[in-house]
Amino acid sequence: MKTMKRYIYSYTLVLAAAIWLLSSCAGHPDVPASSKEAKCLPAIFPDYCDVTIPCNIAPLNFMLPADEYDECVARLTTPDGSQQTYGKGVKVQIPLQEWRDMLTAAKGQSIKVEVWGQKMNGEWLSFNPFEIRVAPEPIDDYVSYRLIEPSYVAWTFMEIAQRNLTSFEETQVFNNEITMNDREKGQCINCHSYQNYKTDNMLFHVRLSNSGTVIVNDGKVSKVNMKRDYTISSGVYPSWHPTEKLIAFSTDITRQGFHTLNPNKLEVYDEASDLILYDVKTDSVQVVSNDSTLLEVYPTWSPDGKYLYYCKSVPLPEEMNGKDIRTTYPKIQYNLYRRSFDVATHHFGDEELVYDAAAQNKSATLPRISPDGRYLLFAQGQYGCFHIRHNDGDIVCMPLDQGFPLTQSIDLSKVNREGRPDSYPSWSSNGHWIMVASRREDGNFCRVYFSYFHDGKAEKAFLMPQEDPELNTFLLKSYNRPEFMVEPVKISVDEFSKVFDK
Amino acid sequence: MKFLRPLCTFLFGLAVLLFFGLAYPHHLHYQEQFQLFLFDSTYVWEIVREPGGVADLLGRFTTQFFLYAWVGALIIAILLTAIQLLTLRLINVQWLYGLSFMPSFLLWLFLLDENALMGGVWAVLLTQLAAWAILSLAKGWTRRILLMAAIPVLYFLVGPVCLPIPIDSLWIGAHYHRYPTVFPWLLWGAAFSIWGLMGITLLIRHFPKHFSLHSPLSTLLLTALVAVIMGSIVWKNANYRAEAVMQYDFMARHQQWNRILETVNKEKPNNQIGVTVQNLALAMHGVLLDQLFNYNQNGIAGLLPDVKEDATSPLPTAEAFYQLGMINVTQRTVFEAQEAILDFQKSGRCYKRLAQTNLINGQYEVARKYLSALQKTLFYRDWAEETLPLLGDEEAITRHPEYGRLRKMADDEDYYFSDHVTPEMLETLFFHNTDNGLAYQYLVAYYMLTGDRDGYQNFISSIKQ
Repeated sequence: MKTMKRYIYSYTLVLAAAIWLLSSCAGHPDVPASSKEAKCLPAIFPDYCDVTIPCNIAPLNFMLPADEYDECVARLTTPDGSQQTYGKGVKVQIPLQEWRDMLTAAKGQSIKVEVWGQKMNGEWLSFNPFEIRVAPEPIDDYVSYRLIEPSYVAWTFMEIAQRNLTSFEETQVFNNEITMNDREKGQCINCHSYQNYKTDNMLFHVRLSNSGTVIVNDGKVSKVNMKRDYTISSGVYPSWHPTEKLIAFSTDITRQGFHTLNPNKLEVYDEASDLILYDVKTDSVQVVSNDSTLLEVYPTWSPDGKYLYYCKSVPLPEEMNGKDIRTTYPKIQYNLYRRSFDVATHHFGDEELVYDAAAQNKSATLPRISPDGRYLLFAQGQYGCFHIRHNDGDIVCMPLDQGFPLTQSIDLSKVNREGRPDSYPSWSSNGHWIMVASRREDGNFCRVYFSYFHDGKAEKAFLMPQEDPELNTFLLKSYNRPEFMVEPVKISVDEFSKVFDK
Repeated sequence: MKFLRPLCTFLFGLAVLLFFGLAYPHHLHYQEQFQLFLFDSTYVWEIVREPGGVADLLGRFTTQFFLYAWVGALIIAILLTAIQLLTLRLINVQWLYGLSFMPSFLLWLFLLDENALMGGVWAVLLTQLAAWAILSLAKGWTRRILLMAAIPVLYFLVGPVCLPIPIDSLWIGAHYHRYPTVFPWLLWGAAFSIWGLMGITLLIRHFPKHFSLHSPLSTLLLTALVAVIMGSIVWKNANYRAEAVMQYDFMARHQQWNRILETVNKEKPNNQIGVTVQNLALAMHGVLLDQLFNYNQNGIAGLLPDVKEDATSPLPTAEAFYQLGMINVTQRTVFEAQEAILDFQKSGRCYKRLAQTNLINGQYEVARKYLSALQKTLFYRDWAEETLPLLGDEEAITRHPEYGRLRKMADDEDYYFSDHVTPEMLETLFFHNTDNGLAYQYLVAYYMLTGDRDGYQNFISSIKQ
C-alpha cells in the first residue's frame, strides 16, 4: 500500500510539473510585480498601437526592439473583462484560437493592450496602454502577392504566393523553380489578376522563355500570346471586367534606368504604351487606345463594368519633344481618364478627364474604384508611372460624387508615410479595407499594409501580421502587387506548370 | 601489410589535403562566397524538408569553413578518407584494398568542378554509413528488410545518390551541383562504384577459387595502379587557369593590393578578371598611369568591364566601383551578381558589401537587415556586430577610414548608369572631389587605352579652368 501511495505521489508530482511546463509553453507569463512608468506608448514592431483591425484577421503578433529589451509582456483585455498575458523573450505571439475568441468578444469594440518591457539592465518599464479597435467588417480571407527580391534587372527564384489573412498560412500559386533550373530557359512571372476577387477566372504573365499569359477560364488553364501585329507588345498591366470574360490590358515597351545618386535608385518608364481589350472567349484583341504620342497605362474597370478608367500622359513641352526619354522622364506626368463601355457592342465612348494631376504638378497612376463605386483610390507622385520606386509616392482617395475633373480628396495621412514609397492601392471586396504596398519600413523592401475605411474616413494603416513578427525585419524579399481574393487559388503549381509542356 | 594500408590511406588523405590547400585553395573560396549558411531554424527547415536535404545541409554547413582554405581542404580530406575506409569495410575483401580508393578518387574528380557541391560528398558518406550500420547489425532476412526500408528513408535524407540509377528525372533538382540541370556523372560514378565493388565482392565470395590474389605484392600493385591512374586523371583535369582567375578575385575581395602586384609581377594575367584586378591594385598604389603599359591590357574592358549577368565576373568590377566611390553602382552590381547565383543561394560576400553600400548611402534600416542576417553566421557574425553600432552614427562613419573616405568620394550628381562606364561618369566623380585620385587615374587610363586625345585635352583644360 505504501508503495502504491508513493507511486501516486510521484505520478501527481510529475503530472503537476508537466502541466506547469505546458502552461509555460503556452506563453502566459506573469505581469511584472513592480515596474517604472515609461509614460509613452511602447515602441512595438509592427506598430499596432491604436489601429482598427478586421474582425477576422490573424493575431497581431508584435515585439519590442531586441537591442533594447530582454523581455516583453503584454496583457490583453477584452470588453467582457477577460484578460490574458503573452510574451516570450521580446516577442508577443498569440495563439490563433485565443486571438479569435478575443476578436469575437471585442467585435465592434476594442481590445485594451498593456505592455511591459524589461530593459537590458533588468529594470521593467510599463508603457501607456493602447487600444486595438475591432471593426465589425471582415477583411477578404486571402491576399496574393509576388515575393521577389527588390531587384534591378536580374532575378532569381520567384513565386506568386497566397496568404490566408485569417491565419498565417501561406501557399504557392506558382513559382519559376522548374523553369529556372535552366538559366537560358528561365522565366519571370508577374502581374497576377483576378476577376471580381474570385479565382476561377484569373491570370498571370510569364516572361522570357516560353512566355505568355496564363489564363484560368472557369477553372481551365491555358497559355495565350496576346501579341498581335498591330500591338506594341503582349498584354502587360491587366484588369478583368467584373462580369464579362474580357480583360483590359495596357501594352508597354518598358525600360529601366539606374540612378547613381538619387535615393529612388531606379526608374521604370514606358517608351510607349497603349490599351487593348482581350476577349477570353474568342482570343481576340481589340485596340482601345493607341495614341503614338502619348502613354496610356493601368486600366481598371468600374465595379459595374460600365467604365474603363486609365492613366494617360500629358503632352511634353514642345522643346522636349523628340528628346531621349531618359532626359524627359522627370517631366512625364499622367492624368486619370475614363471611357464608357458598352458590354453588348464592346464599344468605348469618348474620353473624360477624371483627375487632372498634371495641373497639380503631379502624376497619377494605378486607379482603383471602390466596390460601391463612390471612391477612387490611386497612387500619386511628382512624375512617372512607377511610384513604388518614388519616395514621394503616396495614395490619394477622392469621392466620385463631386463632378469631373475631381478636385477634393480625403485625408489619407494615416495611410501614407511621408518620404517613403506608398503605391499599389486596392479595395477589399466589401470596400472597408484599403490595401497598400509600401517601402516605408526601410525604403527598400515592400510590405503590405491595411487601413480601415468607413464613411469616407481612413484609419491608421497597419502591417500585415506575421506569425513571427521578426519575419518583417529579416525577410529580404518584397511583397509585390498585393491583390485581395475572397477564396484561394485552387489550381496547384504542378497543374499550372503543365501549360508549359504543351 | 599491417601498416601499409593505414599508411596508404593516410597518404591519400594527405594528398587531398595538400592538393586543395596548395593547388586549389581559391576554388574553395569560390565555393564559400556563393552560399550563406545561417544558424536559423527557418533556413535549416527550408533545406531539410526537400529530398536530399540532410546531405545538402551538411554540405552547406561544411562549405562555410571554406572561407579558410586549409580548413576546407582538411574537411575534404577527412570526408574522402572516411569514404575510402567505409568502402573497404563494405567490400570487406582486403586484397581489393586498392579499389576501395575508387569512389574517393571519383569524388575528388567531382570536386574539381567549382560548381560541384559538398552535399554530394555527404550523400555518399551517409549512404555508406547507413549501409555499413545495417550490414554490421543485422543478418539474413532482417538485413534484407532493413536495406529495403532504408532506401526510401535514405532517399529523403540524401537524395538519389543512395540509389544510383542514372535516370535524369531522379537526379534533376537534387542539390549536388550548382547547375541543377547538370547530371553529376562523376558523383553518380562514385556512388555506383561502391555498389559495383560490393557486387564484385559477392562474386568473389561465390567463386573463391577463381579469385585468390592474396599476395601482399598484388595488393600493393593494385593500390599503386589505382593511385597512379586516378591521381594523374585528377591532376590533368584540375582547372588551374580557373584557379588563377579565382585567386585574383579572392585578392580583390580581401583588398590584398601588395599581393596582387607581387602575383602579376610573377606572371602577368591575360584574363579579364586578372587584368581588372591588376589595374585596380596599380591604381590603389597610385601607379596605374605610370605602369599601365608595363602589363597586359584589354582595352577599357580591362579597366572597368561592362557588367555582365553572371555571378562571378561582376564582383571584381564591383570592387573597383566601390573603391572609386560609385556606391549605387556597386550596390546594383553586387545585387545583380548575387541574384545570378545559379542555385538561388545567397552570398556572405555580397551581403557584406550590400550592408556596406547601404551604410555609406545612409540607408541604415536596409543595412541592418543584411547585418542581422550576417549575425546568424559563423564567420561574418563578428564583423556584423562591429558594424551594427555604426548605423545612424554619422560621426563614427565620417571618422571611419573606409566608409568616411568613400562618402567623400561619392558622386554628388545623379546620372543614369546602365552597364557601361563612360569617361563622363569618371569626370563627374573626379570633379566632385579632386582628391579622388582613383577616379583621376581611371579617367586618364581610359583616354590612354582608347587613344582619345581630344577627350584627354578637354579634361586637362577643364582641370586648368
